[in-house]
Amino acid sequence: MCSVGDDNLEEKTSKYMEPVPKFKLDDNKCNKCRASTPCIVLRGKDAYCQACFLSGTTHKFKAFLGKHRFVYPNDKVLVYHTEGHPSTSLLHFLRSGLDLSTPKKLRFEPIVIYIEDKIDLSSEERSDAAEFIRKQVEEYKFPLHYISLCDCVKKNNKVAECLVDDISKLSIGDNDKENLNQVLNSKANTTNKRDILKIYKKTILIEAAKHLGCKVVFTPELGIDIASQLLTNVSLGRGIHLALDVGICDNRDEDVKIVRPLRHFEIKELAMYNHFNRLEVVAKKEKLENIYSSVQSLMKNFVGGLQNNFPATITTIVRTGDKLAMEKSLEDNPRCVLCRGPQENRNEELTSAESTSFSHWVSTRSPQYSMTPVERYEKSLESFSVAGDSPYCFACERLSHDLVVS
Amino acid sequence: MPACSANCGKNAILKRPKTGDALCKECFFEAFENEIHFTITRAKLFTPGSTVAVAASGGKDSTVLAYVLKLLNEKYGYNLKLVLLSIDEGITGYRDDSLETVKQNRDDYEMPLKIMSYKDLYGWTMDEIVAEVGRKNNCTFCGVFRRQALDRGAMLLKVNYLATGHNADDIAETVLMNILRGDLARLNRCTSIITDSGDGIPRVKPLKYTYEKEIVMYAYFRKLVYFSTECIFAPNAYRGHARVLLKDLEKVDPAVIMNIIQSGESLCVNETANMPTLMTCERCGYGSSQKICKACTLLEGLNRGLPRLGIGKSSKVKKLIEQDDLKRSAAGCCKSKNKSDCGNCACNKNEIKRDLSKAVEELKI
Ligand SMILES: [Zn+2]
Ligand SMILES: [Zn+2]
Ligand SMILES: [Zn+2]
Ligand SMILES: [Zn+2]
Repeated sequence: MCSVGDDNLEEKTSKYMEPVPKFKLDDNKCNKCRASTPCIVLRGKDAYCQACFLSGTTHKFKAFLGKHRFVYPNDKVLVYHTEGHPSTSLLHFLRSGLDLSTPKKLRFEPIVIYIEDKIDLSSEERSDAAEFIRKQVEEYKFPLHYISLCDCVKKNNKVAECLVDDISKLSIGDNDKENLNQVLNSKANTTNKRDILKIYKKTILIEAAKHLGCKVVFTPELGIDIASQLLTNVSLGRGIHLALDVGICDNRDEDVKIVRPLRHFEIKELAMYNHFNRLEVVAKKEKLENIYSSVQSLMKNFVGGLQNNFPATITTIVRTGDKLAMEKSLEDNPRCVLCRGPQENRNEELTSAESTSFSHWVSTRSPQYSMTPVERYEKSLESFSVAGDSPYCFACERLSHDLVVS
Repeated sequence: MPACSANCGKNAILKRPKTGDALCKECFFEAFENEIHFTITRAKLFTPGSTVAVAASGGKDSTVLAYVLKLLNEKYGYNLKLVLLSIDEGITGYRDDSLETVKQNRDDYEMPLKIMSYKDLYGWTMDEIVAEVGRKNNCTFCGVFRRQALDRGAMLLKVNYLATGHNADDIAETVLMNILRGDLARLNRCTSIITDSGDGIPRVKPLKYTYEKEIVMYAYFRKLVYFSTECIFAPNAYRGHARVLLKDLEKVDPAVIMNIIQSGESLCVNETANMPTLMTCERCGYGSSQKICKACTLLEGLNRGLPRLGIGKSSKVKKLIEQDDLKRSAAGCCKSKNKSDCGNCACNKNEIKRDLSKAVEELKI
C-alpha cells in the first residue's frame, strides 16, 4: 500500500536530505582562530588550521568523558585495542590526557586488552600483528593483556583462564578457524556468525574487565560503526537492546559499563589527528567481502555510501542511538543467556515474533481435511504456544540454532 | 519439486519468504488467510457489529485486503459491515483506470463503494488547484491532502474503523526511514497496528505482518483483479533510500522484514529526549505539528485566493493571513475565489518502483 502520503513531512526542509555543501574557502583563514591557514575541512564545510584542529579533536574526546562521567578518579579502565586509526588515536588521547599537569588531567588508570581474532589471516601474519600491537602499546606505557578469541570460545568462555600478559603465551594456531567454526553450525550464515562472534567478544571484554578490576571498558567504534551497527541490530530484531548495543553506554552488566568514546568521530578526523601527531598506526589487514554476504557488510556499505552524498547521515543515526533507552518494565525480566540483555515480555501484545512463529506453525502442520476449516483453525490455535520458556531473547533465539555448544 | 511443508502430500508451489517453509497452493491459501485472522483476533482490531471502511486504491494490497476481509468476515462470523472507500484526487486521467478496478472489486465482492473526491473533502479538485498554484507547487497540495483524505472520508461515512492495506514491507520501510531521518516520535509509533489520527476513528492495518511478495502471490493464484501501477507520487528522499536498503536486505535474508518490525515494536525512546509533541489541528482535529495543520493552511490560502500561503515557511502564515484580513475588511471583500482550468499533478514520475513483476517468478518453485 502506498505510504507516500503518510510521511507527514510538513516543511520542505525536512523533505530533502542535505547534500554535500559546495565548499569554498572565503578568506583562506581557519574557522576557529581566523588567523592561520587552514589545512583540513571537516563535514565538508568547516576549515581548521592544524593547531585548532588538534585542540578541537582532543577537546571533543574529553568533553564526551566529562559530560557523561562514566569514570571516577583512580578507576581502572579497560581499553579494547585493535589495529587501525581509531585505536591509535584513543591511546594517544589517553596518554596525553594522563600526562597533563593542568587540572584537566585525566585521573584514571587504563589497562589495554588485545583480542586476537584474525582467523582469516595466516598464523605468521597474526603473530606479526600481535607483535606490532605489543610494541605500540609499550610506547604508550600502558599494561597490555592478550586473549585469543578461539581459545576462549573453546574453553567455554572462561575468560580468566585465557587472559595472558605475555605475548609468548598468546595462542595462535593454524586450526583456529576450523576450531571456531566447530562451535558454530556449519550451515550458519555469515550474518549470524558475525553476530555471535560480536557477542562473544563483548562477553570477553566484560569478563576480562572484572578479572582485571576495571569498572569501565572503552571500545573504539566510530560514528560510522555505531550507525551501521544500529541499522544492523534493527535488522536482526535487536531493537529491544538498541540503547545498550549502540547507545552511549552499555550497562547491562551490573559491575562493568561499556563506553564508546569515539562515537562522534569520523575516520578522517582521527587519521588526520594521527598524521599531525606523527603517530605510528598498526595497519589493518582485512579480507574484502561481498557486500551481500552479510547484513553487517551491507549496512556498512549503505551507511558509507549515503554519508558520501549526505554528510548528515551518520550524525543523525548516531544521535538517534543517543536518545534511545532501555524500557523500564523490562528491567526485571529474565536475562538472555547469550547476549545477557533482558528478554522481551511475552504473551502480552501481538508482536512480529509471535506472528512469525504462528506462520511457521500453520505452515508445518498437516491439514486435517476431515474437519471444517474453522475447526482446523481452532485446533491449530489451541496447540500453538509462544516459546514461553526460551532462555534467549528474540534475536538470540534465532542465533541459538547456529550454536553447537551453548 | 519439494513437498509441501505441511505434509499434505502435494507439491509445494512457493517458498514463503516469511518463514522459509514451502507450501502447496491450498495450504498457502489457508495459511495466508488464517494468519490475517490470527492478527485480527489476537490484536483485537475490530469489535463485532461495526462498520469498516476498507481503503481501496485498486492496487494489490487493498484488493487483497478487501477480498480477505470479506472472506474472513463470512468464515469466522466477525459480523462486520464492510465498505470500500476510494479517494479521487480529481487529476484528469490519473485515477480513471484504478477507479475502474475498484468498481470491479465492488461488483466482485458485493461491497458498497464510496468514492470521495478532493472536491467532496476539500472543495477543490487537483486540476483546479494546479490552475491556481501552477505545477511547481501542486505536489505540496496533493501530498498534504492525500494524507488526510482517507481519514476525512471515513469521518464523512461515519464508519467505526478505517482499514488500510499497509503490509509488512511498508512497515519495515517506514521504520528504516524514520531512523534515517532521526524522527524519534514517529519511530516510536510507526509499528502500531492501530493508530488514531485525532478523529476517534481508529486506523487499522490487518496486513501488517503479511509480506508484499505473498500478497502478490495470493492475488496471482486467486486470480484477483488489481491495478498494478500503485502510486505516481515520488517518495521523499529518506523513504527512497529506505526502500532500496530494504530490497537489498531482503536479498541477504527475507526474514529481515519481520526482524525490523520486531525491533520497531520493542525499541524505546528515552523519556528525557525532547520529541516534538504531536498536536491536533484547531480547525479539523487531525494530527499536526502546528496549531493549524498544513491541509487547513493550504485550504485557507486557496479559499482566500492566496494559493502560496502554506507553501513557504509556516512562520509567515499568520502574518500573511492578518495582512489579508486587513486588506479584505478595507475593501469590504468576500472570502472566496475559485477558478477551474486543467493541468496534471502527476508531475513527478521518478518513483522507485518496487519490482513486483519478478516477485512471482522468484517465489515459484
Ligand atoms: Zn586556527
Ligand atoms: Zn539475547
Ligand atoms: Zn499442502
Ligand atoms: Zn486542520
